Amino acid sequence: MPLRVRGLSYLLVAVVGLVILAPFAWMVITALMTTAQTLQIPPSPIPSPLSLDGAQQVLQKLPFLRLLGNTIVVSIGRAVVTLIICSLAAYALAIIKVRGARLILLVVLTLIMVPGDIFIIPSFSIVSALHLTNTLVALVLPNVFDVFGVFLLYQFFRGIPRELVEAARIDGASHARILFTIVVPVSRSGLSALAILTVLNEWKELLWPIVVNRDVDRLTLGPGIALLRGTAVTDWNVLMSAGVMAALPMILIFLVLQRNFVASFVTSGLK
Amino acid sequence: MSSTRTLPWVEVRPTSGRIRRRGLGRRDTLVGFLFLSPLLVGLLVFRFYGFGYNVWLSFRKAGAFGPTTFNGLDNYAELLSDSQFSVALVNTFKFCVLVVPAVAIVSLLCATLMQHRFRGETAFRVVVFLPAVCLPTAMIFAFGWLFQTQYGLVNAAIQRLGASPVSWLGSSAGVAVVVTVVVVYLSFSVPTIILYAGMQDIPTEVYEASMLDGAGPVRRYFSITLPLLGPSLFFVLLTTTIGVLKLFDVVYLLLPPEQSISVNYGMTVLYYYYQLAFLGVGQRGYAAAISLVLFVLILVVSLIMFQLQRRFVHYGEDS
Repeated sequence: MPLRVRGLSYLLVAVVGLVILAPFAWMVITALMTTAQTLQIPPSPIPSPLSLDGAQQVLQKLPFLRLLGNTIVVSIGRAVVTLIICSLAAYALAIIKVRGARLILLVVLTLIMVPGDIFIIPSFSIVSALHLTNTLVALVLPNVFDVFGVFLLYQFFRGIPRELVEAARIDGASHARILFTIVVPVSRSGLSALAILTVLNEWKELLWPIVVNRDVDRLTLGPGIALLRGTAVTDWNVLMSAGVMAALPMILIFLVLQRNFVASFVTSGLK
Repeated sequence: MSSTRTLPWVEVRPTSGRIRRRGLGRRDTLVGFLFLSPLLVGLLVFRFYGFGYNVWLSFRKAGAFGPTTFNGLDNYAELLSDSQFSVALVNTFKFCVLVVPAVAIVSLLCATLMQHRFRGETAFRVVVFLPAVCLPTAMIFAFGWLFQTQYGLVNAAIQRLGASPVSWLGSSAGVAVVVTVVVVYLSFSVPTIILYAGMQDIPTEVYEASMLDGAGPVRRYFSITLPLLGPSLFFVLLTTTIGVLKLFDVVYLLLPPEQSISVNYGMTVLYYYYQLAFLGVGQRGYAAAISLVLFVLILVVSLIMFQLQRRFVHYGEDS
């Protein structure tokens, strides 16, 4: 590559990187200010003295640990149930090949195109009829029947060599046993991709949680910290502290599992 | 299980092989549908019944509680004369027109940069992915703070440059800019990696051949990379468009429902639907009608995009 082009790419990389990081940086800096410091004109880029007032206020105004706990429980719960439902269904479609598998697959593919957001009213009616509003179960219930997940795992399971399954059948292994001892281990990458995408989707939910759960004790971090937004006055250092505290767990998980995340994003674009 | 094999009645079974196989076949079907049942029951309840209920409700006057009454096509007739709904519809289309090309350009730029080998490549990739894993609520608030009129950093910078501060969330154009920036920021990461993976799939021979023919880097990019990236680019455009058509979180958090004036600058169809269904009184039937309009809208836009794709996107011979 010519030197000039190389220099230009470095410059672009640096600019793009800084633009992406700037909002994060300003969020962290503001989180370390006092409310008075946030109201300076012009704003000073360095908080002095550093203050954890914001974080303290967050802990006072919100049951933060409760929200964090809810988020962990709901994310793991949703991922586990989604994986179970989707792998059972994908096994029936790709490996047992039940009669009508093609039709069911067609329905699944059609439903992928239908956005879940238009079902908020009926889902809410169903969940209320089940007396599940204001529960953690309500947050995940309509979302675990994940047609995209079924299709994703179907693609993975279809690639498993037929002989492997047939040999196990001849040895007298049950379908459940084949699923858990052969199919699941072989399709680990597909399952981990689906798990990561599911957790990230839960992480991004806002509309459904605020509709179905009114108690702050029953919310996850995203909709929970949304409650801090003041209608008239907003203490930005408090809001930014909440943002940093809430965003941090997933960022840390991402930094550790970076490769798996990238792989799962690539998988999400698979057709 | 294996100990039962020694029981006499199990020994008898293999002698009638034909019956055994047919019995297993039926058993396979049974197990298959047992495995499918959680999914099918869930879809039946939350999708098929849900959709039917939504259609039924859209022909009725309904509130959050109490009985509903049939009112025929009134809800749909009301849509036509509802100025608030047309505001929401126009905003939604406006955001699509602004965001979709912006996401395509930004993600193409980032994917192209990632193609080059350079020091700090891994760090750059991590940075590109941060917006996809950060909590959207947190980042939306961070942008709300950056674009805050009195104390925000963006206006401070503008004033430093000698211009007058902009009321970002108090004007239609300002909201359009902020929403575009935030949505692009929150949604360009996944398109970037999909386009990046698509670029990796382009065979190097194609580039080598074109270099022998004397094509420069710019020519190569526009005559080879972009056309061969068609399928990935189509996927990115389609998913981004659908995502923006059902935009809610950004506008809801930046322009809360209590701000009755400025909320109109960013009102989207889904936001309006939410307000009617869960903040309004006795308008759930009307909201259901709006959700069906949104459904048809997304369907029609997707179909149009699929038609365009058939004309413009080139798939390799093998697919």
